[in-house]
Amino acid sequence: MTATLEYTMESEDFIPKVIEIKNLTKLYMMGEVPVAALRGVSLSVNKGEFIAVIGPSGSGKSTLLNMIGALDRPTSGTVLVNGTDISTLTDNQLADLRQSVGFVYQTFNLISRLDAIGNVELPLSIAGVRKKLRRSKAEVMLKIVGLGDRIHHKPSELSGGERQRVAVARALVNNPAFIIMDEPTGNLDTKTGLEIMEFAKKLNREQGITLIIVTHDLEIGSQARRTIRLRDGQIESDEVNY
Amino acid sequence: MRSSDVLGYSFSAIRLRKMRAGLTTLGVAIGIAAIVALLSFTAGLQVTMTDQFEEGFGSDTLTVSSGGGIFDMLGGGSGDSDFSLLLNDTDAINSIEHVESTVATMTKTIQANFSGNVVPASLSGINFTAYTSMYTTFIAEVGSIPESPNDTDVIIGSLIANPWDNGTIIAEVGDEVSIVWTGRVNGSIVQTNYTGTVVAILEEIGGFGFGPSDMGFYIPIDWAVKFFDTDEIASITVKMDTEEQDEIDALIEEIEDLFEGLVTVTQPAALLGMMEDMLGILNIFLAGIAGISLIVAGVGIMNIMIVSLIERTREIGILKGMGMHGRTVLGIFLSEAMMIGFLGGIFGIVAGVFMGNLIGGITSNLGDSGIMPPGSPANIPPITPIFSFELLTFAIVFGVGVAVIFGLYPAWRASKLKPVDALRFE
Repeated sequence: MTATLEYTMESEDFIPKVIEIKNLTKLYMMGEVPVAALRGVSLSVNKGEFIAVIGPSGSGKSTLLNMIGALDRPTSGTVLVNGTDISTLTDNQLADLRQSVGFVYQTFNLISRLDAIGNVELPLSIAGVRKKLRRSKAEVMLKIVGLGDRIHHKPSELSGGERQRVAVARALVNNPAFIIMDEPTGNLDTKTGLEIMEFAKKLNREQGITLIIVTHDLEIGSQARRTIRLRDGQIESDEVNY
Repeated sequence: MRSSDVLGYSFSAIRLRKMRAGLTTLGVAIGIAAIVALLSFTAGLQVTMTDQFEEGFGSDTLTVSSGGGIFDMLGGGSGDSDFSLLLNDTDAINSIEHVESTVATMTKTIQANFSGNVVPASLSGINFTAYTSMYTTFIAEVGSIPESPNDTDVIIGSLIANPWDNGTIIAEVGDEVSIVWTGRVNGSIVQTNYTGTVVAILEEIGGFGFGPSDMGFYIPIDWAVKFFDTDEIASITVKMDTEEQDEIDALIEEIEDLFEGLVTVTQPAALLGMMEDMLGILNIFLAGIAGISLIVAGVGIMNIMIVSLIERTREIGILKGMGMHGRTVLGIFLSEAMMIGFLGGIFGIVAGVFMGNLIGGITSNLGDSGIMPPGSPANIPPITPIFSFELLTFAIVFGVGVAVIFGLYPAWRASKLKPVDALRFE
């Protein structure tokens, strides 16, 4: 952050919150057959942690992520996000909760017709923030991710790494309790992927933002301070890297 | 999300697919234009016809005629009869309550020869003074209507004097006219004639009805009785001193009883009401046709919105993933439909006003264009389409309403998408 920014992030903008999961199970119906994507997962995330969830495809990573991100409800067990049990919430309350979660997807998921700043403004717009304030916030955030000179570029005019940085800015702009990154480097070349990871680490280190990265890339996973391995819907190992 | 932001977001989505949105808007615009053009035209037609009727009829009169009355003229009437009204029947009618005055009219078809210009005309034998007090349109433009006329005095309608309405005058006040009547008197066919003098030319009346007409040819009733050698008359016009429909109905019944049901009593004002009812039906019919085109446009809106919904499933997932409520998604889709409806409404009104004036202009020019035969132009008065505030408001509301109704289902489906499923959608 430089001294010339119009909006200065305040310390409370980055207060991390906690996730607590107990005996989480999730069943999907594949036609007539129920398939257990998660079978009794328990874990908790402290504020400021940098966690990598790794495991092969089908291990339940994405399902876990959807629960943490309040996109879906558990079949049984509890998921406390910011101390709120998501299984008791209505659709609208879940939506409100998602406003305090930052998502970064593998495929960027930017709205193609909006320019970079338009995309970053969206979460603020959904939260009902006034145009002027959200514009300046989004601008600051784009400068933080190093795209201050590209705010009016459409996603199609940006490189993969730049798009992912717009996505990161969008995830950060609404002061999220934590950020979930789903294979954030999956669609990027190695060098750009490492840049994004460096940036993520920096965010975690300097701003204390809680980061949960889902990946099947062991190298990416090894950069986190804590690694959770999932296999067949259960936690295989949960260890802290030194 | 603020509603202004919802609108802005919807607008950005519409702008992205200009062609598609444009064509859908065009569909709505065509429907609205049809409604505006047709309804404004029929509104104009209604006003014009009502004016014409009121002028031509006299709202406080009844017409007594033998047989089936005007329904005979419409064809198919049984026309009973041997029965004829006679000149002195007016005395009996005059003694009935609420009858203020009566005028007997004898009608014959004649050939009028104005120094070589022969015109067929419908001759009416009337009492000039009584007729003048009965109909406000019986006014001389040139000359004057004599109070105690000579037998040979003739009053003619403006179209007799000026049959093509183009300045070719065939008769002027003071001109002599030779009147030839061919008919049956006491069993034998006779052709008789006499020479009259034009003493007055009526002001242009326009329209149609029971009263004076631009094609009329009027002589004193006393002379008609002598000339045609009969006192059988075609009709008696009754002026009433009441406007109470109950009393009028009683009066009609009394006159009918007086002639033992052999006459038909027509109330022009009731005819006017009937005509208005018919125009109302025409109005609904035309609006219905235009409405169908709008419904077709609505189906078009639904179609593109479902396509749009499928294309944007992932986008909806992204928005919901960021915490957008289902009702906001509903609002985004509905406002897209609404914008299309509103724009279509505006364009439709502009096109409809243009089309309405075009139709009005075409009908007004029929007489000059030679499409209508000479002699009839004055019967087609200019029809000015009426673009009332209500009509234009209705058009906009209807356009937006149809768009919203047909947009409701796709919007509802969009709002119900589960974020997890929508995000996974390829």
